[in-house]
Amino acid sequence: MTQLDFLSPDLATPDLAASAAAWRSPLERALREAPPGVSDVSLTGKLEVRGQLDSLDVDGIELVRIAPGRGLVLCDFTKTAAVREGLRSEFFVIDVSAALAGLQVQGETLMRRLTDLDLETLPAIGAVAHVQAYVLRDGGETFRLFFPQEYGHYLAEVVLDAIQGLRA
Amino acid sequence: MRLPPQTDERINRSEEVVFSFHGKSVRAFAGDTFGSALYANGQRIFSRSFKYHRPRGLLCCSGNCPNCMMTVDGVPNVRICAEPVRQGARLVPQNVWGSLEHDALAVTDKLGGPFTPVGFYYRTMIRPRWAWPLYEKFLRNVAGLGSLDKHAGRTQRYDAEHRRAEVLVIGGGRAGRQAAAEHAATGKQVVLVDEGFAAPIDGVEVIAPGRALGIWEGGLVPVDSGQILYRFRAEHIVVATGAIEQPLVFPGNDLVGVVLPDAVHRLVDDWAIKPAERAVVVTADDRGREAAAALRRAGVEIKGVYDLRRERVREIVGHGRKGMLRSVEVDGRNVRCDLLVMSGGRQPAYSLLSQAGARVEYDPERGIFCPTDLPENVEAVGAVTGDGISAAVPAASYNGAGGKGKCFVCVCEDVTDKDLKRALGEGFDSIELAKRYTTVTMGPCQGRLCHLPSIRLYARENESAEASIGTTTARPPWGPVTLGLLAGRPHEPAQRTSIHHRHKEIGARMMWTGTWRRPHSYGDPEGEALAVHASVGVIDVSTLGKMLVVGPDAADFLERLYPNRFGDMKPMRIRYGVLNSDAGRIMDDGTIARLDGETYYVTTTSTGAGAVLEWFEWWNAVWGMDVEIVDVTGALAALNVAGPRARELMGRLTDLDVSNESIGYLDAREGRIAGVPSLLLRIGFVGELGYELHFASPYGEYVWDTILDRGEDLGIRPFGLEPQRILRLEKMHILAGQDTDSESNVIEANMPWIVKWDKDDFVGKWALDYVRSRGPREQLVGFVTEEARVPPEGAQVVIKERRPVGRVTSARWSPELRQVIGMAWVPPELAHDGAQFFVTIDGGFDKAYVRTRPFFDPDGNRLRS
Repeated sequence: MTQLDFLSPDLATPDLAASAAAWRSPLERALREAPPGVSDVSLTGKLEVRGQLDSLDVDGIELVRIAPGRGLVLCDFTKTAAVREGLRSEFFVIDVSAALAGLQVQGETLMRRLTDLDLETLPAIGAVAHVQAYVLRDGGETFRLFFPQEYGHYLAEVVLDAIQGLRA
Repeated sequence: MRLPPQTDERINRSEEVVFSFHGKSVRAFAGDTFGSALYANGQRIFSRSFKYHRPRGLLCCSGNCPNCMMTVDGVPNVRICAEPVRQGARLVPQNVWGSLEHDALAVTDKLGGPFTPVGFYYRTMIRPRWAWPLYEKFLRNVAGLGSLDKHAGRTQRYDAEHRRAEVLVIGGGRAGRQAAAEHAATGKQVVLVDEGFAAPIDGVEVIAPGRALGIWEGGLVPVDSGQILYRFRAEHIVVATGAIEQPLVFPGNDLVGVVLPDAVHRLVDDWAIKPAERAVVVTADDRGREAAAALRRAGVEIKGVYDLRRERVREIVGHGRKGMLRSVEVDGRNVRCDLLVMSGGRQPAYSLLSQAGARVEYDPERGIFCPTDLPENVEAVGAVTGDGISAAVPAASYNGAGGKGKCFVCVCEDVTDKDLKRALGEGFDSIELAKRYTTVTMGPCQGRLCHLPSIRLYARENESAEASIGTTTARPPWGPVTLGLLAGRPHEPAQRTSIHHRHKEIGARMMWTGTWRRPHSYGDPEGEALAVHASVGVIDVSTLGKMLVVGPDAADFLERLYPNRFGDMKPMRIRYGVLNSDAGRIMDDGTIARLDGETYYVTTTSTGAGAVLEWFEWWNAVWGMDVEIVDVTGALAALNVAGPRARELMGRLTDLDVSNESIGYLDAREGRIAGVPSLLLRIGFVGELGYELHFASPYGEYVWDTILDRGEDLGIRPFGLEPQRILRLEKMHILAGQDTDSESNVIEANMPWIVKWDKDDFVGKWALDYVRSRGPREQLVGFVTEEARVPPEGAQVVIKERRPVGRVTSARWSPELRQVIGMAWVPPELAHDGAQFFVTIDGGFDKAYVRTRPFFDPDGNRLRS
């Protein structure tokens, strides 16, 4: 039975997995001259989990509920394999580490220029500059966005442009 | 012209601002508007009117009317009476041939009147029909407002910001401020927006200037604050938009020097300007008298005050010279003056409430329309409700037009009382029809100054009550808004593969396919195609839609969706599939690999991925099968390595046994490619021995680079979308959406073999069965031509009587076959090898011959090698 290893970037040979030589973030080029407060968090373990999530209890992970039976698990990239294997016995698990880019930004006003989501009721899924994204608030003015990596360069450019607009 | 310092003046006399007007420097004070500064410097004519090019001067000084619109720093239609002065700004008059004082097009006022009544262009410019574009161009040049430079770039930055408010107060007058303070005192989060200046309020966020453009469902209120569009979602909305002063309708009511009371207050009190030397006041409420008092304070001689509530005035006529007021004639008595203050009462500014869903009712006692039945989350306070507006019905006295000369009901669109009467006479007997025919209320003021007068005139002419005439529909935007603000930032969502930047670095010419950016080619499409036939090529196909269908019912699910069979597939085998709608039409196509008993890997076209995913999820919801559907399009990069030396190259990249015996045509394998876990699919869209490699997208550039590096001595070349299209056409592989349309089905598209009629059911079976029973009406075939020129896609298929009978869907020059090849829909009688037809090209006809089998390697020997 297939384990769908080809979806899991952490299963590349050790010299490649997450190495600067082989692993490349979709945000890398856009964020080369990013101002402070913007950081690339794409190198995060991301697993879509389906099932009875109330029983999901794993240390060291972050669960973002999408729907009653659906959630996104975030974890340290190097621990993805262990978390994935641990969850598979009980849940339907798909590795989306490669599917989603991650961006951390600072500032509520910046977020207001990017999305119409209610920033007081995060986490939530919604359009960020027209791209469907998971939006998380890490307390205060720090936000994380996870969104389809193919829009990564576009969205990073929009974020940097919005920051420029706030400074204008 | 400036008065001594006034108690509440808004100007700062110690701070000078200089701007240019028509090339001349104008000095102003901080706190001035462009309008007040020009007025203080003696300028009286501010614009020329829309249709007749009549001189127009300050009328409202409130940003409501169109009389002061100019182009400021390239932005047209700026109401300069409300626009704060800026250092170095450039003001240019608009809709003028010559200067504001000497406009050549003013001839239309003198000569054109009788020949240009309302709607004249519907009647007089209809013949000859071919000339309409010339008429239209002429009319657009001689009438209108400011013009946009179609070739100009963005001059300013505009942003949008999404905001939320527990209470949003619109309007910063006394009532609005009081409401804001009261809500804030209860602990609510309150935001107040005002079009002009608004002082701070404790506990309230004040946005000024900020104009609410409308009220939509869900409490959505866009607010224009100049360079930021705030999109408010408000739980509770307080509308305090006040009331708008109404003009009177009489001959000469548009002369320069005829003003509304608020203009007097702003000129005298805010900007410390003496507006005139001698003034007459005609008023239907107390505001005219208050303006007269302000004028007296400013040292203006009051030559007469006519209170229409008390005096039976029958006729008012404004007389002027070169468009400037010289005297006012009241019931035959001529009074010399250079200022006429008119006040026709006030009308609640209810448009936003109406947009929100409130009803509007006429109050005959006071002669105004008032809002009623407000939606639950909307509150109205102050004059917008009608509160504080005294009766201003000039019923027993002067009630509008009379005498000689043009009486303007609508100064924005130059609509006169005669125009409205004419519209009524022509049968446009409702105010909504009159609006469309005459354009009254459709100009820049959006009915602020003409809505009530036009209804009053219609009521009088119809001998009916204003209440029965009703109102026109209030639509957003409530105020003018720049297109730049609505457009926002110039970002276009684009999907890029993980190898996108590498393509650009090696010289790819990028193109759009849907929302994807893809390499068209790397500069040599034909050479790239030939390299695939000669040695090996690699193309980025990461844009393919990719889905996993997983679960005990996965096989049954796909059996129901597709016309062919998937339940009998062995693990690690691949099959081509065509997805049909329930009407039997081709939706999309792709390959389906069975990875194990319960797991299928489905690919779709690049642009069809979203629709296919929705289709799958919709049917899964309907059938309730035990299946999980997962979109993995972005998770995986995909490369197609194709060509006679592809196997040799693959042998250098993986430790999988890639021999034909181990991985044959339509086999799938999981393994490492260049150290990266991959799914390898042996398929061949481009007609040569080929491997499609699917692997985690972050390794896209690494695997791409490795493939090019290891294949260098084999003559590997990257190839783009254009060479791929040549190659697939040589194999007569269809492109769903290009060779097919929303009417195409698999039977007529030359793929009847794909339908397994013995299956119990599948989506579209009934419809396909009908097509089978009625027989094909057209067929998709290949063709070659005798000429070297390539017919355009969409060219007609023509038979000898020059009768069009079909269409070309694809055509290319094949560098391998050295001839033009293509695909076309033709009648069934032409769907056999050697049949002849013509294709239209450059106005001529090229002879074409039908081919029903692939042009290249028809038996698929290279594909299976």
